[in-house]
This record gives sequence, structure tokens and C-alpha cells, in this order.
Amino acid sequence: MRTYIIRRLIYAIPTLLGISIIVFLITRLSPGDPVRLYTFGALNITEEDIQGLREHYGLNKPLYEQYVSWLLQVVQGDFGKSLQYNRPALPLLLERLPATLQLAVAALVLQLAVGVPLGVIAALKRGTWLDNVIRVFGVIGHAVPTFWLGLLMIIVFSVTFGLMPSQGVLTVGHDVWDIPDRIKHIVMPAFVLALAGIANYSRYLRTETLDVINQDYVRTAHAKGLSERTVVYVHALRNALIPMVTALGGLLAALVSGALVVEQIFTWPGVGQFTYAAARSKDYPVIMAGVMVASTLLVLSYLLRDIMYAVVDPRIKVK
Amino acid sequence: MTAKQRTVRVLIAVLAASMLVATACTPGGGPTTSGAPSASATAAAEQPTPGGRIIYGSFSDIQRLNPATSNDATSSTVSGKIYDALIRVDPKNAEVKPNLGSWTVSTDGLTFSWVIDAKANWSDGKPITGNDFLARVKMQARSKVTPNKSTFNDIEGYQDYSTGKATSISGIVVDKTDAKKFTVKFTRIFCPALITVFGSAPMPEHVFGKYTDDADINKVVDDAPENNAPPVASGPFKFKEWRKGDQVILTRNDTYFKGAPLIEEYVQKVVADSTVAAAQMKTGELTMTLAQPVDVADLSKVDTVKLYKWADNGYVYIGWRTNNPNVAFLGDKRIRQGLMYGINTDEVVKAVLFGEGVKQLAHHPTVSWAAGTGLNPYGYDKTKAEDLFKQAGYAKGADGYYAKDGKPLAITIVTNQGNKTRETFLQVAVEQYKQVGVKITPKLEAFESLVPKLTGGSPEVEAVIIGWQLSADPDPFTIWHSSNVASPTKAGNNFVGYSNPNVDKLIETGRNGPDCSQGARQKVYQEMNKILNDDAPYMFGFAQNRILATASNIRGIEPGSFSPNADWNIEKWWIKK
Repeated sequence: MRTYIIRRLIYAIPTLLGISIIVFLITRLSPGDPVRLYTFGALNITEEDIQGLREHYGLNKPLYEQYVSWLLQVVQGDFGKSLQYNRPALPLLLERLPATLQLAVAALVLQLAVGVPLGVIAALKRGTWLDNVIRVFGVIGHAVPTFWLGLLMIIVFSVTFGLMPSQGVLTVGHDVWDIPDRIKHIVMPAFVLALAGIANYSRYLRTETLDVINQDYVRTAHAKGLSERTVVYVHALRNALIPMVTALGGLLAALVSGALVVEQIFTWPGVGQFTYAAARSKDYPVIMAGVMVASTLLVLSYLLRDIMYAVVDPRIKVK
Repeated sequence: MTAKQRTVRVLIAVLAASMLVATACTPGGGPTTSGAPSASATAAAEQPTPGGRIIYGSFSDIQRLNPATSNDATSSTVSGKIYDALIRVDPKNAEVKPNLGSWTVSTDGLTFSWVIDAKANWSDGKPITGNDFLARVKMQARSKVTPNKSTFNDIEGYQDYSTGKATSISGIVVDKTDAKKFTVKFTRIFCPALITVFGSAPMPEHVFGKYTDDADINKVVDDAPENNAPPVASGPFKFKEWRKGDQVILTRNDTYFKGAPLIEEYVQKVVADSTVAAAQMKTGELTMTLAQPVDVADLSKVDTVKLYKWADNGYVYIGWRTNNPNVAFLGDKRIRQGLMYGINTDEVVKAVLFGEGVKQLAHHPTVSWAAGTGLNPYGYDKTKAEDLFKQAGYAKGADGYYAKDGKPLAITIVTNQGNKTRETFLQVAVEQYKQVGVKITPKLEAFESLVPKLTGGSPEVEAVIIGWQLSADPDPFTIWHSSNVASPTKAGNNFVGYSNPNVDKLIETGRNGPDCSQGARQKVYQEMNKILNDDAPYMFGFAQNRILATASNIRGIEPGSFSPNADWNIEKWWIKK
């Protein structure tokens, strides 16, 4: 197991290197010049000043040289300084991570708390109207674009009925530890972020549960005279959930990347909103740090998934 | 369509667009001014009471709170409330008035002698002195990240200090016996100095002084933690907290030299865009924000919201490239004049701004003392437009478009994607120019990739719709002087490549005197506006109203065209309970 993990981590290096090269090239070669953008409207700026700034940020060097010096810095944990904020890019990004994680965890809880029961109910009530409703919901939930749903919810719940705050994490002036107020703010963005997952899980669980309740051991349990409840919860659901555990591995990265759109709509001060703003302003160091952090999370979560596979299902051997 | 349906439609359209593209900003802008007692009380019967909070919605987070190193407008609205300048600009007529300091000018116009108000102290009790202004100039001179290094270029000895050739700035002398007195000497007469140089707020020497070293050019202020958390203030508010990506909180400065503000707390909060901000004004989550014309009808129906409108010191225009061989015909004045006649600006203002604006005829908006008089109004006249095209040798072809030697009058106009006002302007231009036989190809481009093409004089740009937010000082040097023509080797704000020796001469006189009096400069700029009006290098478009939405119980707001956020007298504002 240990050698497997080490080997997987070594394999991750070329993956991350490849990603970094591609993103580096895309950001540098796409039209736009951060120094010109950043100095736009500075009334007394001279061409000399612009060249000075370019030199300061190392943007006057050939591309390969820029990449190599970036890489050498990154190996030492330094992603360079944000052009907008003039502060190290990685700490700036990590400052935003807690907000994103709050949102991701809230969404994950919602996905499991709503998606799993829906799937089980649909399977147990197969063919009834309830099953049909849940299945239609599954398709719609999967198809609805998050930006549209987010806006719709803001219009309905915030503007029309005034029930929910539409933006941010906390009412202005409230104490930072005002948990009920924070929960009120997180409900809508977390739901929007979770919806596709809820839909997926309900469909997934429905299939798995149907699969399991036709197994011999479930029939045996019924034959033993166990109550319906015990059969479902102890025998069927437990086995149906096994593949679910592995799905959780890839979820973290999916939530973090999916939060980009949701954070934008709800002005949630997380990593996604921050990276998006950086991309708009061509803040190269922040874009690179954002992409590398997200890629690393993705690689790690896949590794985690594979390990969990082996843990929950002893038949699978890690090679 | 009901109001609600319209809200839904607009909200979706605007938000969806804003997620994909940059909401554009316009360049320029003068120093944020604040302070000075207001001339009149708004409502005689009401008694101002202290307390309360302003929640101001802005569309991006602040970046740095050290004005010596930053250039973005969002940060300036906050840092301008923390650091007061030596002068302030009258919001109604752009007249420069004493603020932290008062001044006299030597007869040769080169030396300014300043005295800082005896009551003016930093919020920690230390007096504000000439050393603080010197500290500001020094930190900006050595900063490696500031875009405004050249602001002080005309101060004697500045450039030598900036490059490390000198260890002091010979032109700035602080009185040895009274540090509240200091003199600044220029190498040549520079008429905009009062606003551009002395509009730069003094910075606390006792806080930032340790970051620079006269003898070491590599010791810079750029990484000082105080840049993001100012420990002392000279303005009406003190820094309290910056919750990254969410809000920045200021509290009132009780020791402010013009008297403690009545408002207890000022919070600047990030919201997704103007449509969301308008919605939040209705729910009371925000109590102040700049609104767009599209939201006016809706917001004016809300009892708890009050709207203030005033003419902006800026305009949105179509710039014609006069130096691009792909559209050589734009170098012909008759064609450009025809394009001026061929568009119904009143219709544009109605369609694009819902009536919240006026037609613009030359560079300076009518609110400016530098605006031209007796200009050609270019009333909408299709026949005149077509006559001018014919005079230039063009004839209408079977397809309805004018052409000469097989080459049609065809122009691609680009604007930045996501700015609804400009996008609609472009659509209207396409339709109206078609009626006079000019073929317009509309093009949208992200702000971040458009800007370098403009300031780099890219041949891809044939015409552009964009805007200017002008400084309180009317000097148009960077926009119209031929030395600022944008080219691939030299960035410039003269995107259209306009070059006219007469205009150059007038701009130089308005900038470098010798007579810097408002009367003398006014004559020069009126003359310049007359030439620009006739030459029509821009279809000068329109000046949009600025619209401030506030909670209806906020009192004391007296907006003017030269205070972009109307916050010049924020210390007098109060909230009726």
C-alpha cells in the first residue's frame, strides 16, 4: 500500500507539470497585456515606466525563461506576487480557501442528506408516482444550469419575498461568529452548488438499491422474518452505499471547481471568485496558483478515491 | 411586460454577461476629494444626529490602501476617506480650494509655498507636516509597482532621486523651525500641478518612513503591511478591518481636523454587479451605490430609496482611427463630419441611457469650465451626411452602401463586451449608419484584450466605442497631444492617432503656461474644443448622468460633477433615525 501511494504521487508530478505548462502558455499567449491593463488610465505614465514595470514582473524575458524561473520559485513554495494586490499569490489564495470549503462541505452534506434518501425511496417505491417525481427531479436537477438557478433563487427568495440574503457570507455589522446568520447566507449558494449532486446521487442510489434488493442475501433476510426496516437499513442500504464512498473521493475537487460559478453569483469570497477575478485582470501569478492548487486537489482526491476503493472492497487489490 | 418580468430578464442578461466578461472601467479620474464644510443645510427643520452606518456597494474588492502604489478606482474610494489631500476640488465648478494645506505661488510660477493647518493631526495625535508630503513623494519615487511614478516628474530633483542618483529631492524643502511649512519647486511651469501633484495625499512619515532609505534604491514601500491596513488616518475615517473579497470597514476619525464625522461606520461591500446592487438597495442590504440608467425607473418607485443625479465629467464616444491604412477614409475630415451628422444622438441617449444623458460635441463636457462655446451642434441630418460622403468622392452603390474605387465605406467598430451601455450604443450605430450608406461591422472584445490593442495602436482597431472619465483638471495632454499617439512601440491614450499642430500648441499652452490662470486656460481650451468639434476625430457621443442611489434617510449629500462618488462632504452626512 505504501509503495503504491508513493508511486502514485510520483506519477502525479508529470501530470502537474503538464498542466502547468499548458496553463502557462494559455495565459501568456491569449491576447492582453497585464501591464498595459493595469496602467490604463494612469494619466502621467511614460513608456519608460511601463518598461520598468514589465522588467519588475519579469515579463520582458522570453517565455521559456519566464516558465523556468516560475517553476524554480514554485518548487520553493513561492508562486510569485499578485500584480493587483502586490502580495504573494499563494497566501492570498489560501486566505480564500476557508470560505470555499465551508460552501463545499455544506453542499456535500446537502447532497448526501437529500440525495441518498431520495434514491432509496425511489427504489423502494419503484413504479409509483413518487418514483416518477424523483426521477424527473433527477433529470431536471442535472440539467439546470447553476448560474440560471442561482439568479432565479435570488429573484424569488431575496428580491420578491425578502426571505434570504442574496450576497456575501454575513450581514453587515453582525459578529463574525453569528452562526445562524452565516447559515442563512450559505443556504442558497450551497443548494445551488449541491443540486446536480443531489440529482446524481438519487439516480445512482436508486440503481444501486434496486440492484441490492434483488440479491440473495436480501431475500434471505426477508425469509428470516426480519422487519422491512431492518432489511432496508441494515442489509440493503449498507451494501448499496459501498460504491458511494468511492464517489466521495472525486467530489472535493468537483465541488471546489464547481464553486467558481456559484461564488460569482452570490459574491461568496472564495477561491473560485478570486481566481475568476484574477483571470479577468490577467493576474498571471494568481491564475497559476489557483490552477495549480485546484489540480493538486484533483490529483489527490483521485488518489484518495482509489485508496478508499481498496479499503471498502477487499476484493480489489491495490497493485 | 411587467416591471418584475423586466427585472428578471435584465438580471439574467446582465449577470450572465458579467460572469463571462469584464465589466469595464473607464480610465482617468481625478483625486478623490473629501472634506470642507457644506454651504447649505438640506432641510432646515431636521437636526443632524450622530451614529449609524453607510453600506456602499461596489463591484470589485479593494486591492491596496496605499495611494502611492495603487491605481484602481475601488481602492481610491476607500483610501481617499482615510488620507486627506492638501487641496480639495469644489464639486460644483472644479475650483481648487485649501484643505489640509493652503498655498501661495511665486511670481515665476515655479515655487509653491505650503502651510498645513495647525489643527491637522494624524489620528494618533502626531501633527501632519511637510515631512509627510515629502514621504509620499519619496515612496512613490522609489516604488517598483506604482503606475504613477511620473506624477512628480516636474519637481526639481525628483527624477534623480527616483533613479538613485541623488539621496534627496532638492525641490522639496521643509522649514527647519516649523515643519508645518514647506516649499515645492518645479523645473517648469505645470498648470495641472495643484490637482495632480498636490492632490496626492501626504502619507504618515512616522509609519512609512522606515521602509524607504534615501541611500538605498532597493528599499521600497511596496511590501509594507501597512499598505493593506493603514494604522493612522488624516481623513474623516479610520481603517478598521478588511474582510478579503467581502467588505472593508472604516470607523469615524474623531480627531479629524474639520470635526468628527456624524456617520459612525462606513462599510464598502462587494456585490456582483449593478443589477444585484439595485436589488440590494430595495431590500436594504445596501444603503448606497452608483446605479445604472436601466435601474432608475424601478428604483424610483421604492420609498426607501432616494436617487441623486448629476452630469458626469466624462463621456462615451466612437473614436475613429485617423491613422489606420485599413480605413484610410477616416483620415478625411468630411467623412468624419458626415458620421457626426449621420447618427441621431438624441435617439441614442433615449435608447441607451433612458434619457439620462446629453449629447457631447467636443472633448470637455459642458459641466467643465474648459468646455467650448458656439460649437457646431451636428443636428441629425441624413442628407448632409450623404452630401459630405459625396464630396469626399464616394457614390452610393446598388447595395445601398457608399463606395469609392470599389472600396466601400465599411468600418468595424469594437467595444468592450459586458458593458451594456456601449453594446447598445454599438447596435444603434450599426442601424443608423446603415441608413446613410455606411456599413458597420460590430465587434465585441473582452476589456482585458481590447485595452492593449488601443494603447498599443493595433491596426486591428478601426473604430472603438469607449469612454473617458476625466480628471477635475482639464489638461487633455495624454488624450489629444500628438506625442501620445498610440503605437506598438510607445503606449499612448491618443488611440485614434489624432495629430494636429494647432491643437498640440494649445494643449502645451494650457499645460505649461506661462499663464496658468483659469481665465487664460479657459480661452485656450475653448479654442481647442472648437477645432476638435470641427475635425470630429470622435463621434463625441454623450455624457451620461451619474446616478447615486441611497437609503432615503441619509442626509447631507450634495453631489457635484467633480466628486465622482459625491463623498466630498461625507463628514457632514448623517442618518435620520
